[in-house]
Amino acid sequence: MKLSHLLPLTLLPLVTHAHHTSNWAVLVSTSRFWFNYRHLANVLSLYRTVKRLGIPDSQIILMLPDDMACNPRNAFPGTVYNNADRAIDLYGDNIEVDYRGYEVTVENFIRLLTDRLGEDVPRGKRLGSDAGSNVLVYMTGHGGNEFLKFQDSEEIGSWDLADAFEQMWEKKRYNEMLFMIDTCQANTLYKHFYSPNIIATGSSEIDQSSYSHHADNDVGVAVIDRWTYYNLDFLETQVTSPTSKLTLGNLFDSYDETKIHSRPGVRWDLFPGGEQRGRERLVMDFFGNVQEVEVEGGAAGNETEWREDLRRLEEIVNRARARGNVTEGQAGKKNEGPAETRLVQNRSIGKGRAGGAAKVEAGEAWGQRILGAGALLGCALLWGGAWWLEASK
Amino acid sequence: MMAPGTEVGEGDRDYRLTLPAKSSKKPPPELSEGIRVRGLVIVSFWAVVIFLGLPVWLWTTSIHRARLPLQEMLDWADGKACKPTFPLQIAIEAPLLQDAEAAHLVHMTQHALDDLNEFSAHHLRLRLAKSLSSPSRRNASIPESQDLDIGQVFQSYEDLDDRDDSALTVRLRAQDGIQAARSALQSHSTILDVAYAPNQIPSVSSSSSALATFIANRLQELFAEEQAIIAYILSQSAAGIQSTSHSPYVSPATASGSREIRSRPNRLINPEMAARLASRMTRSLKYAPTYHITMSLFTPSASPSSWQIESALAEYLTPLLDSISAVSNFTVDTQVQLYATFSPSVHAPEHDADHGVWTLQEEDLSGFINAAEWPLSPSIGAGPTLNFVLYVPDQTTSPLVVKGSQASSWLIPQWGGVVILNAQDANTTSVGSTLSKEAIRPALLTFSHQLLSFLGAPQTPPSLPLQLQTLTRIRAASLLLSASSTMGSLARLTVALPSIAIPETVSTAVDTTLSHLRYTCNALKEGKFPEALENARIAEAEAERGFFEKSMVGQVYFPDEHKVAVYLPLLGPVGVPLIMSALKELKRMWASRKAQ
Repeated sequence: MKLSHLLPLTLLPLVTHAHHTSNWAVLVSTSRFWFNYRHLANVLSLYRTVKRLGIPDSQIILMLPDDMACNPRNAFPGTVYNNADRAIDLYGDNIEVDYRGYEVTVENFIRLLTDRLGEDVPRGKRLGSDAGSNVLVYMTGHGGNEFLKFQDSEEIGSWDLADAFEQMWEKKRYNEMLFMIDTCQANTLYKHFYSPNIIATGSSEIDQSSYSHHADNDVGVAVIDRWTYYNLDFLETQVTSPTSKLTLGNLFDSYDETKIHSRPGVRWDLFPGGEQRGRERLVMDFFGNVQEVEVEGGAAGNETEWREDLRRLEEIVNRARARGNVTEGQAGKKNEGPAETRLVQNRSIGKGRAGGAAKVEAGEAWGQRILGAGALLGCALLWGGAWWLEASK
Repeated sequence: MMAPGTEVGEGDRDYRLTLPAKSSKKPPPELSEGIRVRGLVIVSFWAVVIFLGLPVWLWTTSIHRARLPLQEMLDWADGKACKPTFPLQIAIEAPLLQDAEAAHLVHMTQHALDDLNEFSAHHLRLRLAKSLSSPSRRNASIPESQDLDIGQVFQSYEDLDDRDDSALTVRLRAQDGIQAARSALQSHSTILDVAYAPNQIPSVSSSSSALATFIANRLQELFAEEQAIIAYILSQSAAGIQSTSHSPYVSPATASGSREIRSRPNRLINPEMAARLASRMTRSLKYAPTYHITMSLFTPSASPSSWQIESALAEYLTPLLDSISAVSNFTVDTQVQLYATFSPSVHAPEHDADHGVWTLQEEDLSGFINAAEWPLSPSIGAGPTLNFVLYVPDQTTSPLVVKGSQASSWLIPQWGGVVILNAQDANTTSVGSTLSKEAIRPALLTFSHQLLSFLGAPQTPPSLPLQLQTLTRIRAASLLLSASSTMGSLARLTVALPSIAIPETVSTAVDTTLSHLRYTCNALKEGKFPEALENARIAEAEAERGFFEKSMVGQVYFPDEHKVAVYLPLLGPVGVPLIMSALKELKRMWASRKAQ
């Protein structure tokens, strides 16, 4: 094909559908203690669902602030159930909790979203999403107007979340995002979002509580929240395979206020195309891991060509090795060396600087101490002076 | 102070005794001494507050924000600081031509090329090469001694080795008995052989030549795909700037920040081409200095339980990896998993009696990988992992192919490739439960083909060294743009989030990035592509390091009412007496001044 002939033609508007290339899920429960059993069950249920629909463990970040399965009050040790019929053990034997116990903090959550983590943090604890990733963020816990409590000790605000998502967008860390939250006054939490391509949904309006669905008398506490229960109900009964074509519109239409006992909200305005386009998004775009697969024809035609190519490549490489230092193969190979060493050098310089910075901090601490001592001394002098003045009379 | 007080008190009592009827008493006039002391007390309290308290408060609550060259960073992101150009040198060897003739031919070809080229950032520059090859190899005994530069840029290259700098060498050879010129690209080197009829040589005085046009067209054709890719990358980033520069100042409703809308039409790329390029770009992996390649053998039964992967890798894959090591490094690991079952939610293969094969629905392919149970994410090191899965179906469901296309391999964008190795292909050469090197050869060749497309290499021209060169340029360009856009993001965030700290390390990282970006840009302009790539890699690494600086976390946003709530209990009890006493004192001073 002669490309040069095609080049000048085109002024047609071009809106291609941006396919996502990976799916990530961030599932967060924020409350600990036995009576909050249901929040962990909520999150584990979602975990089970996204895993069933194909998101691998390496792309699911699961944050559990407490260990209900091993809680001494648990009458069914080693298990977590989300229903009184106890049909499905959510804890199972194939579960990967990424952040556990006291690791579930606001700081860690924000660091996770913005990837401001140390180099020593393993990949399993990082959100490795990129510009082609659809990200599902599900949070549950106790919250209020524009905040969500973490572990009864701190809270994350709507602004914090909004800023974190904006940083993600700036660094192209998501393609589209579905934000779900099940807490009291949940809809206030996505009020301040301002980054594009986010669909947000919550369980209850401002001044509304979010209720639990039912309790298991043998477990002794409520096992799941209403909104999550009906979400799961839809996902488990309708979205049965990764090929499901159900849309987010279907999901949101399935919400029944009389059953949920609160008014769920959906925010569309950040999504390009608004509600109309957003409703067309497949549930599987966020809960599953379905990518466009490119099937290749039989490789037979290519094979001979490729064998030739590889043989030649081998020749080239061998020649380069033989010649050692002077030629083209080396132009690649040799340049590699300096680049790497320079990178390494830079890194080590960076590390050196980090050490230096710490020392500077220490210096600052000394400076602060000196200043404090100076202030005390000044006060003492002032007092002494005043006393002297008075005494001299 | 006590002594006068008691005196006053006693005097007071005396006074009351003498005048019991008077109900409203006035305090005795204050002593000037007492007034002075009180004034001093108030002033000293205020002095402590203003000169000690306030600075300490400001100092301890201030956020350290290193200075960043914001404007420069934004300029890079907006593409104002650098317009990358890609001048490619093409050497022309014409051993049989006279100097003047050759120069004239090169000149005319250059003209024809310039007319053909629509994309000014990427252009081909021809020059007459010194002949380096031995005369015997080229049936020619007239070595060219003159090095004639056509482009203005190439003065600096004269001291360098011609062959290494030029992207392509065109070798002209006269051939008797052919009517029109013919060309052949050697697929293992960067040499384009052009054979022409001896009468096609343009005379020095002629102004047009079929041979020149032919060469120009051929060259343009060879580099058309590369041009299109680079044009696409540049236009993507230009469109990206439009959509990202909105936030957070403009309301999201007006800023249609979607990356979908970003794919603006470019004059150079027709929609069909753009769609193809877009799918290639989504397929190819984000740049990383190191990639991990995981080769996995999955089988639903107990055999085959081993494969001669090491020798196969050494033979089929390592040469390729070595030759692209200029762009990225690779580590390879392998695994064998027996009894690997499909995910329960995927439709089982169906038997197609007509063809005697088992088929998979094409839409099921994305669920073919049982992500929940197959151990495919080793989390090794820092780089991304490319998975290549060789699936050997059970005897009972073999041969297994994709319904419709009958293909047995597919590619999952940014994730990896899958090849189904059907038993009849494998059994012929397998011994027992071991897959021999020969049996997995086709799969490995498919994998290496997929690997190149994951790296974003072009499909034309059909010469690997040329493709690798193109890859160098594409990677340099995309790294330059991605580091620039990271700079822009960092600059915008710095402005948008005044509450996050910016440590000095960020500032140094930014400086390093910017300087390496400048090197990259200059190297591109000068046509030193490997050097450009090297610098772009450093720039990218530094930009990422700066952006993801660990201490730069805007952790908690405090609304103003929270601040009031924190400070009021503290400052209320302290502030009220301070202010009231100061006011009282001022009032008294004002009154006494009036009285005077």
